[in-house]
Amino acid sequence: MIRPVRRRPRRVPVWPPLVLAVTVAVGVVVAVGLPSGSTSPGGDAGTAGPPVQAPALSGPTLDGGRFDLADAHGHVLLVNVFASWCGPCRDELPLLVDAGRRWSPQGLRLVGLNVRDGSEAVRALLDETGAAGLTVLPDPDGTRAVDWGVRGVPETFVVDRDGRIVDRQRGVVTRQWLEQRVAPLLAG
Amino acid sequence: MLGELGTSSLTVGLLCATLTALLWLRVALFGAPTRPARLATAATLATAAVACGVLEAALLRHDFSVRFVAENGGRRVPLYYTVTSLWSALDGSLLLWLLVLAGYAVLLAGRRHPPRLQAYAMVVVSAVTVFFFALSCFAASPFRAVDPVPPDGPGPNPLLQQHPAMGVHPPLLYVGYIGLVVPFAFALAAPLAGREGRSWLRVARPWTLVAWAALTAGIGLGAWWSYAVLGWGGYWAWDPVENASLLPWLTATAFLHTALGPGARRAGWNLVLACASFVLVLLGTFLTRSGAVASVHAFTESPLGPMLLGFVLLAVVASTILTGWRTPELAGRTASPVLSRNTAVLVNGVLLVTIAAVVLIGTIFPLLSGPLGGVRTSVGPGYYHRTALPLAIVVLLAMGVTPALRVGDRTQALRRLAVPGAVALATVAVVGLLSRPGLPALSAFGTAAFVLTGLAGQLPDRLRRSGRGRLAGLVAHAGIALVAVGVAGSSAYGRDAERTLRTGETLRVADVSVRLVGVDRRGDSGMAVRARLRLSESGDAERAVTPALRYHPARDTAVTVPAIDTGLLRDTYVTLIAVSPDDGSATLRLAVNPLVGLLWAGGALTAAGGLGSALATARRRRRVGTPREGAQPASVAVRAGAAG
Amino acid sequence: MRWRPAAGTLVLVALLAAAAAGLARSAAGAGQDDPVRSVTADLRCPACQGESVADSRSPIAAAMRQAVADQVAQGHSRDEVRRWFVQRYGPDVLADPPARGVELLLWAVPALTLLAAGYAARRTLRPRPRRTDDLPAAPPADGPPPGGAARRAWRWSALGLITVVVSVAVAARGLDRPRPDPAPADPVAVAVGLARDLEAQDRYDAAAQMYREALRDRPDDTIRLRLAFALLRAGDATGAGQAAQEVLSHAPDSPDGLLVLGLAQRRTRPAEAPRTLRRFLTVAPEHPAAPEITRLLAAA
Repeated sequence: MIRPVRRRPRRVPVWPPLVLAVTVAVGVVVAVGLPSGSTSPGGDAGTAGPPVQAPALSGPTLDGGRFDLADAHGHVLLVNVFASWCGPCRDELPLLVDAGRRWSPQGLRLVGLNVRDGSEAVRALLDETGAAGLTVLPDPDGTRAVDWGVRGVPETFVVDRDGRIVDRQRGVVTRQWLEQRVAPLLAG
Repeated sequence: MLGELGTSSLTVGLLCATLTALLWLRVALFGAPTRPARLATAATLATAAVACGVLEAALLRHDFSVRFVAENGGRRVPLYYTVTSLWSALDGSLLLWLLVLAGYAVLLAGRRHPPRLQAYAMVVVSAVTVFFFALSCFAASPFRAVDPVPPDGPGPNPLLQQHPAMGVHPPLLYVGYIGLVVPFAFALAAPLAGREGRSWLRVARPWTLVAWAALTAGIGLGAWWSYAVLGWGGYWAWDPVENASLLPWLTATAFLHTALGPGARRAGWNLVLACASFVLVLLGTFLTRSGAVASVHAFTESPLGPMLLGFVLLAVVASTILTGWRTPELAGRTASPVLSRNTAVLVNGVLLVTIAAVVLIGTIFPLLSGPLGGVRTSVGPGYYHRTALPLAIVVLLAMGVTPALRVGDRTQALRRLAVPGAVALATVAVVGLLSRPGLPALSAFGTAAFVLTGLAGQLPDRLRRSGRGRLAGLVAHAGIALVAVGVAGSSAYGRDAERTLRTGETLRVADVSVRLVGVDRRGDSGMAVRARLRLSESGDAERAVTPALRYHPARDTAVTVPAIDTGLLRDTYVTLIAVSPDDGSATLRLAVNPLVGLLWAGGALTAAGGLGSALATARRRRRVGTPREGAQPASVAVRAGAAG
Repeated sequence: MRWRPAAGTLVLVALLAAAAAGLARSAAGAGQDDPVRSVTADLRCPACQGESVADSRSPIAAAMRQAVADQVAQGHSRDEVRRWFVQRYGPDVLADPPARGVELLLWAVPALTLLAAGYAARRTLRPRPRRTDDLPAAPPADGPPPGGAARRAWRWSALGLITVVVSVAVAARGLDRPRPDPAPADPVAVAVGLARDLEAQDRYDAAAQMYREALRDRPDDTIRLRLAFALLRAGDATGAGQAAQEVLSHAPDSPDGLLVLGLAQRRTRPAEAPRTLRRFLTVAPEHPAAPEITRLLAAA
């Protein structure tokens, strides 16, 4: 019996298809997670998130008074974390003070949390920006800001009438942001 | 005017690059004459040069009608940093990328290499050029007109206006990065070019060495910049941008070693490592230029991301298909002895590839974890310290063992290792008993001592042989060992303290103390604050040091300017963190960083060694004459091996 | 020469012992120095790029260091402090998240790579003996590929190249520049909405104030009319009249403008009011306010 000449079966290499499959899989995952997709627009700047109870905030103010967040119940509170060494804070302060003044009839209160700063420098800043009447809580070592989860200055929190943080803005606030995020709370 | 010139140069460049690729393809497939293809390659370089020149001219003339200038130029920026702002943002750096890439293409086209291998390699290089021209032309468009024309621009990122290294670091890094396209191109060309393909390793090696040396220098300069500008006292933060430059360096290092000697023995390794190096370059470009990874830190997004990702995938697919299915199976038939250089090189390869995997997965983890249901977090230094550092120490050990494994019996190898081993153990004993650097640093010291003693032992032997190339590999390896000592020393013995000082108070770390003399403000509304300090070391005479804080209103960032006092054995590093305007007190951080100087010295030595090796290899080839295919004399191969 | 190996062994043993002692001493003493530093080194500075809280020079990082120091001083454990930070900053704040779930990738990928590369190295070192017929299927061809294949390769490669360029162009057009913010809410509309709410609460002064602000951003007659109404209701007839006049200067036949002007004039200049209101009736006899005005005029 003559056996036919057995042709050597061509060995199909294993690793090239494997590499291709892994590459394509990783590529798809990365492409899905690419930030330019519509999955996570806006990044970190303004995150609403679910409302959380605001951490306690009380103590002597810059002008010798006392402030307690608990007393502000029933008001909408804007907590602006700022410092005199921060340029953008200087820029946004007039806008905030203006908003606080305009909307105070509707129940808005503005509080400044002054992080790692000197009292003289803050006073100078307040005078310069026409914010002399602002309620300012000094936070010389910055631990109160950390308690609030502040990531950088300036940062502004919106606390609703029930004392919950409903919105926060990392970085400078704009008139538009105030009107979009704060005004509806006042009207309601 | 300039804007239109720039745009049209990019368009013409795209056409030229496409033409170049097609012409080289004709050369490769039909054996067409090479002259038109060479001319087209040169024309592509010319357009890239014009585009760069136009953008540079627009920057220098403050022509804010050009988008890139409006976004990155500024009238108040010093001349030097105006020149460097070409590569301080994505769209301009793409032009520099194009210039370097086209430059490599011209150099490669001008060399005498086996013709078909060269033609196919040129097709690959030109195809890459086409892609980047298309990217620059359609997506980045730095020359787009701005309307209305702003009167002034914000200037480049302030961090990029602090250090003279800014003028050298990015171009060097690019020369290194993009140079890896050459081994990639040859690796893809080798399976296509038939018998000529077998010589690809010998042809690609000098190119790889040049690219590797530039990449090494670029990484070193980047670390130096980070140390001198960022003000946190360190030089390596395992940040995605740094990792992106480290990744191709690791695989290219592995490639340089597997390609040594009779390279055909490790054909698969060579192909994969050469391809991986350039794919990692592309991946790094994608990671850092698309904002994909850095977006965790709210970096600007870029529309280039998906396209770069697509090109990375395309490169992987192309190289897998070309090398995977057509690997010239020329692997040796005989098993090497266990204790041989072959084994050592492969162990080195395995470890370097594993380190690359660690760095890669750590870097792209935030991209994967989001879609896979995790949190988009980047990976901190702790992870790399636990994984990459032990592996790196083993690599160092392999580096020390390998030279002893020359052909010969085992006892001889052991005898060669006896003295370095004894020195290493003695180092561990002495250092461990006298100070407590911790296990990783102690083992790094021991291994480095092992390596350096071994290298010193080889020195007389190498000097006896003729040619400068003999020393190059030795120098590069010594540089790596010095870097290891520098890293271990600075992390183990570094001490720092941070405190708020009033005028006249003193901050002390070890035997170094600084006394605050006063705080100066300069510029309008406190744009720069300087702390005047008196520094004294171990009771020596006091010296004045002045760390500063500089505020850049246009970009709204404050930048620290640390005061670094570089010494032979240690640096003192003072950072001004904050200044209280009330009472003139200043918050200072004083750090004593020992052995940091070794890092820079070691990095420079390593890069110099790589460059020397490249020059020696090239010169030797010229002496041997135009290589006939597959006819590399064994002696050359062995000597090339010794040089690496 | 018997003493040489013995001496060698002795030296080796001595060295090994000394090195072991050095290692032991070194391992025992490292990393225990500063609990604050050990916690902060594993926290990510939220304001910086890839720096830990321990290393960063940003003020927030300094504040976080202080917060950690305070908590450590109060006797909180490392885990408690870390949890406290996660509550405030999210899990992102941890520089080394615990290895579970997706984090396993961080360990699995390097391990698999090590295994695969090790396997490849082993195969390179110990190639399996090949049979003579196990040569590569196609020995590397010399010279250019034959005509037909070359032409096909040429065609496909050229096509591929063009495809790359075209797809970049198309993709670039597709996502062009970063899109503008998705439909920013119109601040004027918000102000107007807020003012209406105030009107509904009978707070006409405040509402008028809001309308004035909206007008500053967008001088629009509709808003001006609403301002005029609000002013009228707030009792500021002069202001209302001025606003209405302004509207009428753009649109002389605006019914609402005539209506408000007429009503305002009833208080400021009663003599002119009837004429204005009559004009209102002729312009817009179907206006919802028309019957009321007719009644007013009849009563006068």
